[in-house]
Amino acid sequence: MAQAALTIDGLSVDFEGFKAVNGVSMIVEDGELRVLLGANGAGKTTLMDLISGKTKSTGGRVFVHDTEITNWEEHKIARAGIGRKFQIPSVFKELTVRRNLEVASCKNPGVFANLGFGFSAKAKIDEVLELIGLTEEAGQVAAYLSHGQTQWLELGLLITQDPKIILLDEPTAGMTQAETHKTSLIVNNLKGRHTIIVVEHDMAFVREIAERITVLHLGQVLAEGSVAEIENDPKVRAAYLGSKGIT
Amino acid sequence: MMSKRRIDWAIYAAFIVLIMLVPLIMDSFWLNRLAKYLVFGMLGIAVALSWGYAGILNLGQGLFFGAGAYMLAMSLKLASSTSLQQGSDKPVPDFMLWNAEPGAKTELCCINKASFLWLPFQSQWFGVAMGLILPVAIAFVLGSIVFRKRIAGVFVSIITLALVLLVRLVMIDAQPVTNGFNGLTDLGWFKLGGFEFDPYVVPTYYLIAVSLSVVLIAARLLVETRAGVILQAIRDDQNRARYLGFDVPAYQTFFFAVSALIAGFAGMLYVIVSEFASPTFMDLSFSITMVVWAAVGGRASILGACIGAILINMISATVSETEGFAEAWKAIIGLIFVLVVLYMPRGIAGLAHDLIDRFITRRPSTPAPAVRVNDPSSQPAE
Repeated sequence: MAQAALTIDGLSVDFEGFKAVNGVSMIVEDGELRVLLGANGAGKTTLMDLISGKTKSTGGRVFVHDTEITNWEEHKIARAGIGRKFQIPSVFKELTVRRNLEVASCKNPGVFANLGFGFSAKAKIDEVLELIGLTEEAGQVAAYLSHGQTQWLELGLLITQDPKIILLDEPTAGMTQAETHKTSLIVNNLKGRHTIIVVEHDMAFVREIAERITVLHLGQVLAEGSVAEIENDPKVRAAYLGSKGIT
Repeated sequence: MMSKRRIDWAIYAAFIVLIMLVPLIMDSFWLNRLAKYLVFGMLGIAVALSWGYAGILNLGQGLFFGAGAYMLAMSLKLASSTSLQQGSDKPVPDFMLWNAEPGAKTELCCINKASFLWLPFQSQWFGVAMGLILPVAIAFVLGSIVFRKRIAGVFVSIITLALVLLVRLVMIDAQPVTNGFNGLTDLGWFKLGGFEFDPYVVPTYYLIAVSLSVVLIAARLLVETRAGVILQAIRDDQNRARYLGFDVPAYQTFFFAVSALIAGFAGMLYVIVSEFASPTFMDLSFSITMVVWAAVGGRASILGACIGAILINMISATVSETEGFAEAWKAIIGLIFVLVVLYMPRGIAGLAHDLIDRFITRRPSTPAPAVRVNDPSSQPAE
């Protein structure tokens, strides 16, 4: 049996009485791709915030392999092997595409260790540029990229950073159908090499990438299973999908 | 891309050669003035580093400038002949004697309650060391608190602004040790291996010019290191950098402190050429003026901000002495600032880069001669 990459144990957060995430437990195995589904306000993004350290939890624990990372500082969690893509694409706008990736490739976080010149990961960066389809734009300043390209660049930052676990918060938000499809190709390419957790609304995209789905509802885990199991789960239908199923 | 970078360095080289050649054509009065403007150029570099590269708009850069200035001025005050009055061989600043309580022992240790603080400044090199250490220490403590607490943007500006005003008040209030409002005047000359730096001789100009060149090149190299690139990434998107695993406050604090170091160094050099240190260095208007220099020169360019400072001061000196302009000058400088911010947000350096870009794309095969592209930026020292 595969090893657990990410273990979440009874994780909760209490915003002055409102429990946005309430006792969520899940185990994501090494190399798995897990999709988080749920209506608005179900706690998907908050769960990602808790895992990546943006929000401090008020109960429960998070482990990366055997290391407990509950409520660490964000950059330490990142160094422990969790990478995150934001809902609103965020890249370094005034740097070129290549420079963006070079920054992400930097393995040593300290100031003084980085007082030298040049980044050494050229081959890796060329490979990532190819994968995200921005080879021709490598010398361009990131501010001039289209919305879709910016999303891919951020994915590229994550791939270059090479964390064990990748959290993707709505990676296809605002994308055209063609762009969404290309994104699914990129994500599928990462399958197996990284453990991936995706929050996504776009069902076409979910179908293209999903293996297992966890459904959140009102801050709690409602159901977990394959696409088919989730589609046919009466609890899920009642709470979230309505009676028509996933369309 | 590569050739553009080479042109950049050629312009740096041209600038340095230019400031080295100036003594051939200038009299000692103007040379002393220009030396002061070169010091301001160094302040421009400090501002560009923190504002342009780190995204930290420090409205209290004068605090670091003043700290550097006062530290060296204390040493030079003790080295001045005015501190050896009444035939004593132990230096005591004249203003302490004027204000001494009747019957107080006229020695540095105990002429007043805090005068012992001056004791180590009898060594000039203690003053020099403190002039560098104090600004860095202040910046480090301030940065550690502010950046760890994730205070950013305009709030950092407000904190630095308040701090420089606070320190200015304290300096004026601590009259017995600082000579308050009047500052430290009648200073001795800086000495280096037996040579005395008279502010009106050519070697003093070269002390400043060489210092500026070294700081200019060092700052440019620093922003090209990996840490410098990561710093710019942090400026663009702090959170993104944080989730890539970078300790954001450590980077911000480091470059904030480097900026303070440069400002402190500039403060010391200013004392050497101007022979005084005063609380006006910590006036709010002075700190804001530095920001204007950098904005006009181009805050995203180390050399641009440096040239901006020198250029504005050169023009200011000429124009404000022309009758009819003397009063209007401040309004003119304000107007220039507004126009630059509105229509030339990247300043003179941005303009120069656009010209270079056009030049390269027109004649891609031949490397551009440095002199030609240098035209827009070489005006200040002519």
